[in-house]
Amino acid sequence: MAEQSISERVLEHILPEAWERQIEELQFQDAGYGYDAFGLNKEWMRWSFAILRPLYETWFRTSSRGAERIPPTGGAILAANHSGVLPFDGMILYMDVLRNTHPPRIVRPVVDYFVSHLPFVSTFFSRMGVVGGSRGNVEHLLRRGELLQLFPEGVPGIRKPFSERYKLRPFRVGHVEMAIRYGVPVIPVAVLGAEEQFLKIADIPFKIFGAPYLPIFFPPFPMPVHYHIYYGQPLDFSTRYKTEDADNPQILEQCAAEVQASVAALIARGLHERDGVFG
Amino acid sequence: MHSKHDISVQSNTITHQIHEASDPSDAKEDRHAKDPSASIRRYPHSSAGTSRIPRGVLVTGATTPAGIELIRSFLLEPHVERIIAVGAEKQAPMLEPWLGERLRYLCLDLTRERSLRQLLFGEVAQGGVDTVIHTASHRWARHRGSKIHSLNVDATRQLLQICEQQPSIERFIYRGFGEVYDISAEYPLLIEEDHALHLSPHTPQWVRDRVEADMMVCMRMGMSRLQVVVLRCAECVAPDTGSQLYDYLSSRVCFQPLGFDPMLNLLSLPDLTRALFLAAHVQEQGIFNIPGKDTLPLSAVIERSQRLHLYAPGPLVSWLYQARSWTRRNKDFRYDLNRERFHLSAILDGSRASLILGYQPQHPILWSDLFP
Repeated sequence: MAEQSISERVLEHILPEAWERQIEELQFQDAGYGYDAFGLNKEWMRWSFAILRPLYETWFRTSSRGAERIPPTGGAILAANHSGVLPFDGMILYMDVLRNTHPPRIVRPVVDYFVSHLPFVSTFFSRMGVVGGSRGNVEHLLRRGELLQLFPEGVPGIRKPFSERYKLRPFRVGHVEMAIRYGVPVIPVAVLGAEEQFLKIADIPFKIFGAPYLPIFFPPFPMPVHYHIYYGQPLDFSTRYKTEDADNPQILEQCAAEVQASVAALIARGLHERDGVFG
Repeated sequence: MHSKHDISVQSNTITHQIHEASDPSDAKEDRHAKDPSASIRRYPHSSAGTSRIPRGVLVTGATTPAGIELIRSFLLEPHVERIIAVGAEKQAPMLEPWLGERLRYLCLDLTRERSLRQLLFGEVAQGGVDTVIHTASHRWARHRGSKIHSLNVDATRQLLQICEQQPSIERFIYRGFGEVYDISAEYPLLIEEDHALHLSPHTPQWVRDRVEADMMVCMRMGMSRLQVVVLRCAECVAPDTGSQLYDYLSSRVCFQPLGFDPMLNLLSLPDLTRALFLAAHVQEQGIFNIPGKDTLPLSAVIERSQRLHLYAPGPLVSWLYQARSWTRRNKDFRYDLNRERFHLSAILDGSRASLILGYQPQHPILWSDLFP
């Protein structure tokens, strides 16, 4: 038997077998050197999950319902509410999908352009399967039958003040346009807990690396709120609309409003069911 | 260097010159020269495109590694009756074993219109050449000026115009470059043929010339009686191909911008040759991206080349390579040409080439042979 390196032995200790198995069984399009064309790499995923798992399991004590609604294969879009000053909601949702899908699926979070200009962050994100939010990237991934994670509120969602928590910003229409065009379902998702993880004090219009602003928040690390994730019934617009309807602005507005209403209903249910912010 | 002579015809009677191999790939070429049948790859051609059979081929840039390989491939095709190889060098020792009635080597200054006319309406017309594969371009990024522009752009324009006038020519294939595409976070990572081009006024001449030549050839599609094809190839990492990355990796120490590790797609010489060969065997015209088999991060490229890998902040990397270009004149790597792709991933999408030309990358780069 080949001798394990120190790093492999460390990894074996800190990444439980269940997580290891999920990553091992994960299907992705290896471009030849263990990376896919977008930079996703399983070895990076192993280490990242090993390091970030305590956040998911212990710090945020994440619980989720309805992950079985995510189709086991084929393209789909997870449309979630966005909040929390820093995008921990995206990270926790990403980990939750991998943990609770059988066979395991990797969700490809779609992020704003400026992220590609951030040193270290851009590399880390790319190794984890995150992609820049250009139309071409999204189209390519949907054609490949990948699962996408989008926040249709965009930056206004994560930027909203604490006093307006769980009040959704208007959903943009890009995700429903893609869903109709490529005949993939939209799965509404509600993430509860992220809204209370930080108390935002101010925004500084400090456009370093193309970021829209620099948030000032308290405390310096996220509070140990309890994350609840609710996956809703998939909305299959392709049964109601034809591909060319993806060019109709009114239909897109209607569909986006429908997704927003579904997310809002899931949030209302979650707020009703949860036992306090930290419970 | 271009010869002052317009045309000087080489024949198989020229004494074979032993070429001193400076690197392993050159050594390989020499082995090939000694045993002509040993090294030639035969490419099957099958695609969704309508097939055609070239009867005669004109290849410019014939003394480049890709040109030599391409000519060798055509020599294996019995239906190709005539191959005219054009290069800037007076002699082409790598082609000498095959020179004769079927293969002719001409030393030609492509920037001289009169020479081109003589060639196209002389040798080419008499030989019944129906396919022109234009692979010649200036290889050194540090060179600039009107002479370089003349070879890269004006020669291409003139060659295309004269080909349109010469009735035996049916197909014009231009070896383009993936470097013509603009790389930006706002654009898709997977680059299709309709991707934005690098047209900033600050674009260095090395890129600007390539964009101009590419656009000029593309402009003739549908307007010309010729079937015009542009192959936008990923970077071919090989010596004497003008590869920036090859020059970058030829240093023992490679500096990489701190915090960035973009995905690259790289093309091997056999795949580049294969793409050019396949483009000659279909009737369809258009623009085709030619990706390579190797898709990997920059750090993995450096690791596979067995180079010492150091990270430094981007501005410092820029300064270090600028300083290197001042002190070591034989080095051609320019960080300003590569800044975007050393920060942002960019991969050519070869779906169109796969569908129409039947091209799929097959040959990975042999890193240990390239950088022993």
